[in-house]
Amino acid sequence: MKGKYLAGILLVIVAAAAAFALGLSGMAQSTPPERLVIATTTSTVDTGLLDYLKPHFDNEFHANMTWLYLGTGQALAVASRGDADILLVHDRVREDAFVKASNGTHRVTVMYNDFVLIGPQDDPAGVKGMSNVTEAFKRIAAKGEEGKAVFVSRGDNSGTNALELRIWSSAKITAKGKPWYIEAGQGMGPTVRISNEKQGYTVSDRGTWNKLKSEMGDNLKMQILVEGDKALLNPYGIILLNTEKYPNINSKLAEKFFLFMISDEGQKLIADFKVGEDQLFFPLFGKPDTIGLPSEKSEVQYWAQQLTSNQMKPPSWVQQIIVVAIPSIFTGDKN
Amino acid sequence: MIYLGGWEEIGFGLFRALQLIFSGDPEVLRITLISLRVSGTATLLGAAIGIPVGASIALRRFPARTLLISVINTLMGLPPVVVGLFLYLMLSNFGPMGFLRLLYTPEAMVLAQLVLVAPITAGVTLSAVSNVDARLKEMAVSLGADPLQEVRIILREARLGLLTAVIVGFGSAISEVGAIMMVGGNLLGYTRALTTAIVLLTNQGAFTEAIALGIILLGLAFAINILLTYLQLRTKAGLFAAETERHHPVT
Amino acid sequence: MALRNASLSVNKGEILAIIGPSGAGKTTLLRLVNLLIQPTSGLILFNDVNTSGDDKHQRSLRRQMSLVLQYPALFDTTVFNNVALGLKIRGCPETVIKEKVDNMLAVVGLSGFEKRMVKTLSGGEAQRIALARALVTEPKLLLLDEPTSNLDPKNVSIIEDIVRAANTKSQVTVVLATHNLNQAKRLAQRVAFILDGEIVEEGASKEIFEQPKDERTATYVDGRMIY
Repeated sequence: MKGKYLAGILLVIVAAAAAFALGLSGMAQSTPPERLVIATTTSTVDTGLLDYLKPHFDNEFHANMTWLYLGTGQALAVASRGDADILLVHDRVREDAFVKASNGTHRVTVMYNDFVLIGPQDDPAGVKGMSNVTEAFKRIAAKGEEGKAVFVSRGDNSGTNALELRIWSSAKITAKGKPWYIEAGQGMGPTVRISNEKQGYTVSDRGTWNKLKSEMGDNLKMQILVEGDKALLNPYGIILLNTEKYPNINSKLAEKFFLFMISDEGQKLIADFKVGEDQLFFPLFGKPDTIGLPSEKSEVQYWAQQLTSNQMKPPSWVQQIIVVAIPSIFTGDKN
Repeated sequence: MIYLGGWEEIGFGLFRALQLIFSGDPEVLRITLISLRVSGTATLLGAAIGIPVGASIALRRFPARTLLISVINTLMGLPPVVVGLFLYLMLSNFGPMGFLRLLYTPEAMVLAQLVLVAPITAGVTLSAVSNVDARLKEMAVSLGADPLQEVRIILREARLGLLTAVIVGFGSAISEVGAIMMVGGNLLGYTRALTTAIVLLTNQGAFTEAIALGIILLGLAFAINILLTYLQLRTKAGLFAAETERHHPVT
Repeated sequence: MALRNASLSVNKGEILAIIGPSGAGKTTLLRLVNLLIQPTSGLILFNDVNTSGDDKHQRSLRRQMSLVLQYPALFDTTVFNNVALGLKIRGCPETVIKEKVDNMLAVVGLSGFEKRMVKTLSGGEAQRIALARALVTEPKLLLLDEPTSNLDPKNVSIIEDIVRAANTKSQVTVVLATHNLNQAKRLAQRVAFILDGEIVEEGASKEIFEQPKDERTATYVDGRMIY
C-alpha cells in the first residue's frame, strides 16, 4: 500500500509535468500570427514607442511584434549570434561596423531624437544654457575634481553610453575611475533616477527624460541644462540581418517591419507618438542630411522602390527625391 | 500634495493590484499564467529529478558521496544570472544547442528554472531523508524490507520534508528573474513572467504597476503555499477525527 | 560494542534471557542475530542454516524473525499501517492482512485502535503496537531488546503476558535482552550472562540465579557489581 501511495505520487508528478509541458507547446501552437523579435535599446521600449507601434504593425501584417529589451551593445551582440530577427538601435559607429562585418545587409537611419544634459536644479557646475556640451562636460569635470559635482554614466555599453564617452573623449578628459564619475550599469530610466538620488549630471535621451518627468513629477528634482548641440543628436538605425549568415531568423517579417518603419505610415506614426505634450521621436528616413548627418542616398532609393513594389507608400519627402530621379514611376501619385 | 516617499507607490500599488485582479486585466492574467506554468513545470520536473537524487544520496553509501553532497550544496546556491548566461550561450542560434530553437521560449525558461530548482529540491530531500531516525531505517530492514521497500518506507516517513522540498523549489522558481530574463527574453505575451515584467516596469519608472505585479506575485506564492500546507496538514486533521471517534480506554 | 567468545545457542521453543549491565553487548548480539550487522568472524546458525550469504538469503532468514526495541520505533502513520507493515513487506493479500491485524490487536488489547495515528499513543500502547507488529508475521524467533525498560509496571506485566502467551501458544522462540533480573526470572527458562562483550556463563535460569559458577555472575545477580 505504501508502494502504491508513492508510485501514485510519482505518477501524479510526471503526469502533471507532462500536462504542463503539453500546455506550453499547445500555447505556442495556438498563436497563429508569426512572431517578430526585435533586438532594441531600452529607450524605444521605455518611452513606449514600441508598445504604441505594435497594434498597427500586428494588424497590418498579421504579426506578433515582440522585442528584447537590451542596451545597444547587448542588442548588437545578441543579433550577431542570430538570436533576433531585426535590429533597432542607436550607435552609428557600431551599427556600421555590424554591417561591415556582414552581419547585416541593409541599414538606414529611421528616426532621431536628441540627448539632453540634465542635472540638479541648483546646477553646481553652472552649465545651464551652454550651447556646447563638450565645454559643459569640461566644467562638470572641473567641479567634480573639487568634489562639488557628480556625473552618472550609464556605464552599460549602450548607445547613450557610447555617445557620452565620445563627448568625454572630444573634451580630452578621462572620466572613468574618477571619484565623481559613477557608472550605473543600468538602463536609461534607472540611470536618471540614480542621478536624481545623487543629484548628479547625466546624459539622457529626451524621450526617457520626458517620460520620467511626466511620471515622477515633482519627485524628479532635475532639469535640462544643455540641449541642441549637434553632438547630442541621437539617430536610430534599423538594420536587416544577413539571412545567409542567419538562415533561421524570421527574415520575411523582419523585412516587413523594416518597410513599415520607413513607410509613410510608419514615419507618420513615429511623428505622432507623444508623451504628454512632447513629441519624442522625429522621422528621418531619407533625410538624415537635414540634421547634418551623411545622406544615405543609395539605400534610400533602393528602399523607396521596395516600398512601392510592396504596395506601400514612401514618406512624402522621399517621394519628392525619387520624383526627380525616376519621374516616370511617381508622377501620377503626388502628395 | 503631501509626498509620502516610497509609501505612496506601495499604497497605490496595492490599490492597483486589486484593480488589476478584479478587472481581470488580460495582460496581467497572461503574465501570471506564464509565471505559473513555467515555474509549476520547473518545480514538478525538479521534484521528479531532485527527490530521487536526494533520496539516493541520503540512503546509499558510495565512493564519491561526500563530494556529491558538496556539489549539490554548491548548486543550491547557483546564481540565476550565471545559469541564464550559460544557457543563453548554449541555446543561442550559434550555440551548441541552437538547433533546438529553444531560445526565447517558455521551454527555455522551464529549463533554466529546472537547473536552479532541481539541486534545491535534491538538497532539501537529502537533508529530510537523512534526518529520518536511523532506528526507523533499521526497523524497516528488520521487518524484512528489500532495498526498494526500505526506500519507500523511509520516503513515506520523510514525506513532510519532501513536501517542504517541493515548496522551497517552487518558491525559488516563481521568484527567480535573472535566468528567465536572459533565456526567455521577456517577450510580451509569450515569455514575459511576473518577475521580468516587474523589472521592466521598474526600469520604466512605472513603480505603481511594478508593485502591483509584485503584490500579485506574493499573493500567488502565498496561495500555493497555503494549498501545499493544507495537503501537509490533512493527515493530522484525519487524526483528530479518528481520535474522537475511535478512542477506547485500555483495559 | 564488540563481542568476543560469544558462543551461545537458543533452543527451539524456549525463552532465553541475556542479562548483563548496560553496554555489555546485549544489543549488538541481538542485531547480529537479526542479521542487521555482520560478524567479522564466527558463525551464526539459524535453524541449522548458515546465516552468512547474500542479501536475499539473509532477508529470507530475517523474515522468520522479529525485533522489538526499547523504543517502539513506530512509523508516523496509523496503528493499522504499522502492524500491517511486516505482512505488506511479505506480500500478504489485503484481506489476510486485515484479519491478522485485527486478531493481533485483540491479542495486545488494542482492538479498535486501527485508525489512530501512532503519535497519539501512550508509551505503553506504542510498545504493545511494536510487539503486535513483531508478532503478526508469526516469527519463529522473537528478539526483544529491553522491551519494557521505559514502561510502568502495569504495561510491563501486559507485555510480559503477551510474550509468555506467544511462547506457549505459538511456540515462538524468544531471546530477551534485559538488565531487569526479575523480568529474566519471571520469563526465561534459560539465562546467559554477558559482560564486556563476553558470554560469561549460560545455563538454566535457576542455576544462574541460585548457583552461579562464575564469580562475576554471582556479583552481578546479587546486585554487588559496580559498573
